[in-house]
Amino acid sequence: MSLHSWFMALAHSPLGHAMQTSKWDFAVVEMVHLLALALLGGSVLVIDLRLLGVILKGESAWDVGRDLGRVVMGSLVVMVLSGIALLSEEAGKCYYSPAFRWKMALLAGAILFYFTLHRSALKQTDKGRPASWARVAGVFSLALWLGVGIAGRAIGLL
Amino acid sequence: MPVLQHLCQLLYDSPIGTAIRESNIAFPVIESVHVLSITLVFGTIAVLDLRLLGLVLRQIPVSRIARNVLPLTWTGFGVSLVTGFLLFWAEAAKVYWNPAFRTKLVLLALVGLNPLVFHTTIYRRVEEWGYLAVFPWRARAAAVASLMLWSGVIVAGRAIAYFT
Repeated sequence: MSLHSWFMALAHSPLGHAMQTSKWDFAVVEMVHLLALALLGGSVLVIDLRLLGVILKGESAWDVGRDLGRVVMGSLVVMVLSGIALLSEEAGKCYYSPAFRWKMALLAGAILFYFTLHRSALKQTDKGRPASWARVAGVFSLALWLGVGIAGRAIGLL
Repeated sequence: MPVLQHLCQLLYDSPIGTAIRESNIAFPVIESVHVLSITLVFGTIAVLDLRLLGLVLRQIPVSRIARNVLPLTWTGFGVSLVTGFLLFWAEAAKVYWNPAFRTKLVLLALVGLNPLVFHTTIYRRVEEWGYLAVFPWRARAAAVASLMLWSGVIVAGRAIAYFT
């Protein structure tokens, strides 16, 4: 099955049908998506500002990252699930939307980065000041997540 | 016409209100900044609230987290207030009647009252309870109230668009 047929199957599923026909189904799922976004954004910001040595300087970056990482992961799961439901409303259109494609690419990048270099940067920084590569990792992480959000907002506008 | 409604109509008809409303990019750009700043407010206050509930960052004293995180919250709040007012300016005469907008304003007033009460009462004695494993119920209640009210603000804010 091609990727496009997966998108069409989603659009024609019972979930897609519910989202397309009920205004409030879509609204409620969108609100959940936004709430999880706010939680994820705040946690990522606090983690990265610690990594950059801006806030919570005396605390271990690794501990802050591990603890708030649970909030990031929890919110991410809610966002992906609610995101699939939102996608089902107009999957056929999203498949061709450049904003949607950008969002998925940036999201994949953000998650991959989060589990690899970002993780190492937190571990290596721990209680100290970040090395310059760790600072770059912090800024890059913020830019990736911000990019996901901006591309997401653009889906509805373009 | 009630005075508030009259005021909304004046804002709506003013050159700035009209310019934001009629521009293709001004409204979505201001709106995006508004959403981002709300993320900053809710996300950072949620970290503090989750700490008060003992769910995250238990090894860091709550007063340290408050000192480090609240400036971010206030920054976000300032930006969301300015951008929110600009959005209101453009749509004032319409949102005057919007039930979601009215709900949002009430929730904002309540969500402002919550830290006012928290900081002038239980938080004043944070030195006495900040080291405990479980915080006094009034501190936890303030955290739950904050999480629920801010969620309500976001939900009501998003609902504004569904009532026009």
